[in-house]
Amino acid sequence: MKKYLVAYSIALQETLQRRSTLLMDRLGGFAIVVSLYSFWNALLGDKPSFLGYTRSEMLTYVLLINVLRSFVFTGRGWQLVGEISSGRISSYLVRPISYHGYSLALDMAQKTVHAVSAFLEVALLAWLISGGIFLPRDPATWALFAAAAVLSSLVFFFLEMLVSSLAFWTSESGGPLFCFELFLQFAAGAFFPLDVLPEGIQRLLSATPFPYMVFFPARIFLDKVPHPEALRLLAVELAWLAAVVFAALGLWRQGVQSYAAEGG
Amino acid sequence: MAMQAQLTYRLGSFGFLLGKLIRLLFFFAFIMAVFSHVSTVAGYTLVETALFFLTFNVVDMTAQIFFRGVYGARRTVTEGDFDFYLVQPCSPLFRMVCSSVDFLDIITLLPVLVMVGMVFARLPPLSWTRYAAYGLLSVNGVALVFSVHVLVAALAVRTQELENAIWIYRDVMFMGKFPVDVYARPVRWALTFGVPIAVMTTFPAKALLGVLSPAWTAYAFALTAVALALSGWFWRDSVARYTSSSS
Amino acid sequence: MAPAIETKGLTKDYRSPVKEPGLWGGIRSLVNRRYKDIRAVNDVSLRIEEGELVGFLGANGAGKTTTLKMLSGLLTPTAGEALALGHVPWRREAAFQKKLSLVMGQRSQLWWELPAYETFRLNQAIYGIAEADFKMHLDELVDLLDLGEHLSVPVKKLSLGERMRAELAAALLHGPRLLLLDEPTIGLDVVMQKKVREFVKAYNQRHGATIMLTSHNMTDVVALCKRVIVIERGRILYDGALDRLVESYADHKILRVRFSTPVTASDLRTLGSVVHCEGESATLEVPRANVSASAAALLRSYPVADLNVEEVAIDDIVRRLFSHS
Repeated sequence: MKKYLVAYSIALQETLQRRSTLLMDRLGGFAIVVSLYSFWNALLGDKPSFLGYTRSEMLTYVLLINVLRSFVFTGRGWQLVGEISSGRISSYLVRPISYHGYSLALDMAQKTVHAVSAFLEVALLAWLISGGIFLPRDPATWALFAAAAVLSSLVFFFLEMLVSSLAFWTSESGGPLFCFELFLQFAAGAFFPLDVLPEGIQRLLSATPFPYMVFFPARIFLDKVPHPEALRLLAVELAWLAAVVFAALGLWRQGVQSYAAEGG
Repeated sequence: MAMQAQLTYRLGSFGFLLGKLIRLLFFFAFIMAVFSHVSTVAGYTLVETALFFLTFNVVDMTAQIFFRGVYGARRTVTEGDFDFYLVQPCSPLFRMVCSSVDFLDIITLLPVLVMVGMVFARLPPLSWTRYAAYGLLSVNGVALVFSVHVLVAALAVRTQELENAIWIYRDVMFMGKFPVDVYARPVRWALTFGVPIAVMTTFPAKALLGVLSPAWTAYAFALTAVALALSGWFWRDSVARYTSSSS
Repeated sequence: MAPAIETKGLTKDYRSPVKEPGLWGGIRSLVNRRYKDIRAVNDVSLRIEEGELVGFLGANGAGKTTTLKMLSGLLTPTAGEALALGHVPWRREAAFQKKLSLVMGQRSQLWWELPAYETFRLNQAIYGIAEADFKMHLDELVDLLDLGEHLSVPVKKLSLGERMRAELAAALLHGPRLLLLDEPTIGLDVVMQKKVREFVKAYNQRHGATIMLTSHNMTDVVALCKRVIVIERGRILYDGALDRLVESYADHKILRVRFSTPVTASDLRTLGSVVHCEGESATLEVPRANVSASAAALLRSYPVADLNVEEVAIDDIVRRLFSHS
């Protein structure tokens, strides 16, 4: 267990070293927040609400997107693909360390830094923009939101690992990973609330783990989900997490078995 | 030969292709879904908003197809490939920026052009001058994007560090998906005079719809001319100061 | 005593996709992938005792790296058995991995933006090295590899040679008993190669670690290995002492002569086959048994300024071995 903590701490050090990359990442995210908010603002126009979201709720949703994106949508999928194709993964396989544990530790370091930055940005934005944002009064809501957010980041991490494990069999797994990430962002509600979509599609998506990543946590925060229902959603998400972890580790094992350890 | 290399990528190429198409379709579906609830956004109807979005895609994708080389600029320099470009009898700028053209990306452009056609069909009949303005300003937009890429390539040659700059450009370009009018005034100004995304993507559509004054049109062309000149100068200067990175 | 490594009939097969040439071939392979089966390692049986320093020779693709990968547990063989330090390598048990170190050429495990020392700390945690052992090993490695001030500087600021040495240190912090080195000197300049060689030898002597290394560089092999295993197309061609390899496969020696006045080839032909004769220098190949007689004859009958008796170069021997098989 100690090895993962050490990995976490040196990954943290390294992320803080690469300050310019960090800055670029955050600026990029910021641009997205501004565009989305502006679009929704223009959409609302003079109307008091749109699809059940008031102006401040809409703004809060957009800010939540920024926060949630910052630590749910990081992952080690691309690194895994790179390490498999370059053969670097061999050095992990001969050492007494779990690749998933190690990757997760590194990912946590990324998430920590990005989450802190996102909170600061959001605080700044909330202070600057008139109309205020929506803050839940019930501490239970905050707790439920936090739990949902944590579960979401873990689900995303293992889903990425699952898709990236394809790299064991084909040298062309970048494509599927790219598709997956893109599709995921839409389906998770990371660009717009899923309420915009037709009923049928919404129902279809609820059967997948995707809306749980951004849409449901955001709705929980906005107090649009009664607490018992929120607990039910968390339970379902937990079940998804178990399933995804199981699949990811299983596929990984298969992959390592068939791994040709190229490069030599 | 590039095509051959692409074919050996099989799954990978189709994956990226599919991803880009998905992104396009999803955004389009999003716009349609939004308009099923409202009739205008910032004063623009569905057809008009679609036009803005598609114009953005035309300009952005054309740039992506041809100027992808810049994304690997830093690596080209640090791994010494740039030295070869300088020595060989072919414009190093061309090699740097245009050499990783992905032909399969052109396939993604087709549905966009088809959709643009569909949008044109739904517009009221317009004089050919409008369409000409649209075409010219689109080309103008691509040229402006080109100058941004040249700038980034020059930075890579000069400092061998700032490849990240191109990723900022990508992220800021995201803002071009929507007509600039949705943005608050200060942001709009930034996007017109600072990082001129507005000129690249919104102006052509506005010209087609007849809401772009001659003054702005002139500004657009002038800006591109200046940008091309400046970035060209900056490129030449950076190449002159170039210190090879090979050990 | 139990051997460090023992394998019986180790075999490894691969399926490799066939790439057809040309554009038309590329399109065809899109639709219909064909594979060919390659037997990379074929029935390899060997036994290595603890503390041995063994060289593994062979052309590219001969199967050396594949064998090494199986011994490290990276690959699971298609057939055959192996035991390394009493463990089955491909079970990848933690206890085994803590005694093992695999170093492969260019692969880097050092974190680029941070000082090498941080990677060392990480390895300490991974291998569960006690603080006292960590300090002891670190000091020794720093001393042997001359790493002094290089540990606190970000790795990206180190030169290639300094980085390689830090890599080696990182790979050995946990004091492995089995060291598998794949092309350890590849891409290094002559000075660095010598340093790495000296280090490997010192490590073997100080710790009694079993070391298997593959190399194309004959200088490495000659300097370090008393025993070599030659592998070609997956099969072991030769397994034994390096000197015996030279003796059994080179039935002659080389005489290099420099004369004080020019000599013609025809004169020399009685003493041995003339490989080269120009002006005042000549090179002869002489059967082993006749070496002293020929040398004596040369010295007696010709104005010899300088005379050298050499073994056939190992490269040539190995090349001949391959062409025989």
